[in-house]
Amino acid sequence: MQKYGKATYNFAYRLTGNEADASDLAQEAFIRVYRAWRSFQPGTSFLSWIYRIVTNLHRDELRRRKGRFHEEIPEDNAPQEFAGQRPLAVTPIEEYVERQLGEPLSRALAELSTDQRQVIILADLEEYSYQEIADIMGCSIGTVRSRLHRARALLRRLVERAQRQQH
Amino acid sequence: MNSPHITAGLLVDYIHRELAPEDDALVYAHLAECPDCRREQQAEVWLTEALRGAARAEEFELPPAIVARVRQSVRSARPAPLERLRAFLRPAGAVAAAAVLAAGAFFVSPLGHPASPPMVDARYYFEAHAAQQADNPFSEHGSGAAAIESSMVEGQDEAGTLADRYGSGFTAPTLLGIVP
Repeated sequence: MQKYGKATYNFAYRLTGNEADASDLAQEAFIRVYRAWRSFQPGTSFLSWIYRIVTNLHRDELRRRKGRFHEEIPEDNAPQEFAGQRPLAVTPIEEYVERQLGEPLSRALAELSTDQRQVIILADLEEYSYQEIADIMGCSIGTVRSRLHRARALLRRLVERAQRQQH
Repeated sequence: MNSPHITAGLLVDYIHRELAPEDDALVYAHLAECPDCRREQQAEVWLTEALRGAARAEEFELPPAIVARVRQSVRSARPAPLERLRAFLRPAGAVAAAAVLAAGAFFVSPLGHPASPPMVDARYYFEAHAAQQADNPFSEHGSGAAAIESSMVEGQDEAGTLADRYGSGFTAPTLLGIVP
């Protein structure tokens, strides 16, 4: 718990976006880890296994809250973009980097669907491969790829909008 | 620039190093000659770096209260020492009980004290075998079992009776297959 506690708590915090839910999620995850440690397969990543437990618990919790909770962003099942059809970056990168981005990014992340947020956290913050993310999230690599593409495109639009609103 | 631009999805896979080597090489070559796609690539890279920077700025230690609650939960889920001792001894008790039962079954059953060797009831064997032979549907004499049995019950000479019935070549030993 000392070794994986911080990473697990931060992962839970990024998924839930608040301390209370992150605490509950991390606590429940560690209790599950204790109860189910015999099912861990030696030779695989222990942290990935914990993340999988956290991801499943978070999904279950959202299902339990269904009714009170609603996703503003629809799930990404639309076909992918093709060459030459996407808009170029609206704001120059140099402008982004100069600014304080924590708040707009946090708000933008909060606007993503749960699956999109999970895939962004696992791919961009935790730096897992698509295969590892697929294993953690219990879906196919194609789904990971599709969710990540959609999530990033949406995130960029949301950040740009937040930047414009800040001005 | 004549070649089409790289899709946003392809760029995302490229910066995550998830492309096959040949696709990776194609994207790399295209980026070298296409400023528009290079700008897009830089925007994607920036997004990743911004996300990581924001995450680094928001790193938390695991609250000690969580550690305490997990330990408490684990401790309460763990059985009491007496119960653990019982659980530990339960298999040994089961083995002992099974051994007692097995020993009891051994001494009570005939296996424990075998009787004298089983005797073959030659008369029964003879009757049954003769009856089987006599019940042969291809036999011209039909069902001879009853006749054989009745003749034996009456104390007649079996060999003689059979010889009378089946001819001089047929005696009880030949029917039993004892004599070829």
